[in-house]
Amino acid sequence: MRLIVNGVEREVESAPLTPLLHVLREELGITSPKAGCQQGGCGSCTVLVGGDPRRSCLLPLAACDGAEIMTVEGLGTPARLAPLQAAFHEQYGSQCGFCTPGMLMATHALLERTPSPSRGDIEEALAGHICRCTGYVKIIASIEAAASGDVASDKRTPSLEDADPNEPDMLIPGSPA
Amino acid sequence: MKAVGARLPRYDGIGHVTGRTQYVDDVRVPGMLWAKALRSPVHHAGIRVDTSRAERMNGVHAVVTHADVPHNVYGHLEALGIPGDEPLLAEDEVRYKGQPIALVAAQDEDLAAEAVEAIEVEYEERTPLFDVRLAGDPGAEKIHHWGNWYPHFEGEMDRRQIRKGDLDRAFDQADVIVSGVYRPAAIEHCPIEPQTALAVPEPDGRLTIYSVTQALYFSMGVVAAHLQWPLNKLKFVGGTVGGGFGGKVDTAADTPAALLALKSGRPVKWRWTREEELLCSSTRAPWHMEIADAVTKDGWILGRRMLTLHDSGAYARFSPYGVTKHSFHHTGAYTIPNLHFDGYVVFTNRVPTTAMRGFGVTGLSFATELHITRIAKVLGVDPFELRLKNANRIGDTSPNRVPLSDPSTVPTILEIADAFGHELPAEYRAMTRDRREGDLLPEHLVGQLGNPEEWH
Repeated sequence: MRLIVNGVEREVESAPLTPLLHVLREELGITSPKAGCQQGGCGSCTVLVGGDPRRSCLLPLAACDGAEIMTVEGLGTPARLAPLQAAFHEQYGSQCGFCTPGMLMATHALLERTPSPSRGDIEEALAGHICRCTGYVKIIASIEAAASGDVASDKRTPSLEDADPNEPDMLIPGSPA
Repeated sequence: MKAVGARLPRYDGIGHVTGRTQYVDDVRVPGMLWAKALRSPVHHAGIRVDTSRAERMNGVHAVVTHADVPHNVYGHLEALGIPGDEPLLAEDEVRYKGQPIALVAAQDEDLAAEAVEAIEVEYEERTPLFDVRLAGDPGAEKIHHWGNWYPHFEGEMDRRQIRKGDLDRAFDQADVIVSGVYRPAAIEHCPIEPQTALAVPEPDGRLTIYSVTQALYFSMGVVAAHLQWPLNKLKFVGGTVGGGFGGKVDTAADTPAALLALKSGRPVKWRWTREEELLCSSTRAPWHMEIADAVTKDGWILGRRMLTLHDSGAYARFSPYGVTKHSFHHTGAYTIPNLHFDGYVVFTNRVPTTAMRGFGVTGLSFATELHITRIAKVLGVDPFELRLKNANRIGDTSPNRVPLSDPSTVPTILEIADAFGHELPAEYRAMTRDRREGDLLPEHLVGQLGNPEEWH
């Protein structure tokens, strides 16, 4: 089967009913989606499938054949953070970090659709994303900062042209060496 | 002091927001096997285990039972000379539901789970004990070779006790005795990263262990003790924890992964399921706390008698430490001159309990604060004034006789009163954390409170 992961077409060999999470993590080595509960309850495995946030632990590969998949690796790199990533970093929206990739994907989808979300919109986008460290206050503040452009770092969303030649393992964001 | 008060970026923040922070489950090495554990489905039973069918399965590379563990029965306090009590893998008895009995390493997680199913165990069920209040009943099932509570506090006492001042005298002088029972429940830490370990046998005979531990050197010691290895044969990689909250202080996955790696000669990863994390991992201890305070009608707490039954679950782990800390804090943020405290580490057939954010103290604070409010209600006095009156002052001593150099109770309560818009009389508003003289301490009590020198 075929996936387009962070803009790169990939042939995958996992069995059709393999959860997308396992295809990404075990076959493609893309480890930002986390196996927090593997039963759709925690949100840490969230990736975008055709632009929609989905629980990759519950989504069989067969349902994604040919789909565009986006993970945090496709959002930005350390050298060039997306505004949403920069906001999470600057506003302390991440503590242990384990839930952060799922939160980022869910809220990236939110901001793509609703560039100026209300607090209610943000809370709804975060529903089902469990953070056990913080009280969500700083997570919501991060998303509000990203939405309002209150980000000190580079405000431009990176593209594939931004690949960092000094990081050979990440010539294309999301692609393992 | 450039960092104090400054808004500094997290050192690990960029890794977190780019998905590049490497947690243990993100580490993968060639030839890696996956582990699963056979866990007891019952709370308390005698067992007989037969692993032969699982060992013969294709793709199963190692099956480990207690017989494979060089030093199976271990206790965290062995270094202090206290014998161990908890088997890494159950031998002939299981004492809690979820207790690991045998381990399997196989090509993938599904096959490892199938092999676990193929292990045969006979369970001869015994009556479980869940209620700490019944542990001392003459007919109670004995669930531990130590008896039903931990017997190894200093001087081989079977409890952590505090005796201070003259409690009988305090009760004689009291106008009213206010008592209460407080029973906060167990809490699961529930980190979003489950317990995970990866053990890699190295060509030089050492083991590299990727661990989710919150206490890396401690976990090294635990693994070395079980393996009976010197520390220099272990290389631990840790420091990145996907949430712990105390639940990753106990060493959970490291030693089993190490044993399977040694027996199979292959790298082995053990990743707990969410179900295992919720059902089988340690929790915060549930407590049974009884408090009886000797109180004057104008709101002075003269003495406290307290009994704590700390539910340790099936094994001791760090519970004696938790109860010790609990005993030191059992007056809360207040000074009570006459004390009689007994704390027991009681065994039950629940999962072993452990540290969690404010080990030994958080549930206690719930109890002591509720109790102060209860006293205020019984006396019909303002709960803020009652707290300010009895608050710790500089020079007071804690229950374990440590002088308090800078207790913050008074300023904290004044701030809370402000936050609530709560009016206070001028003499309370003027209170400070300094010594109590002039702070409304009635003259007739100065010389009468137990041992007067212990008031400060």
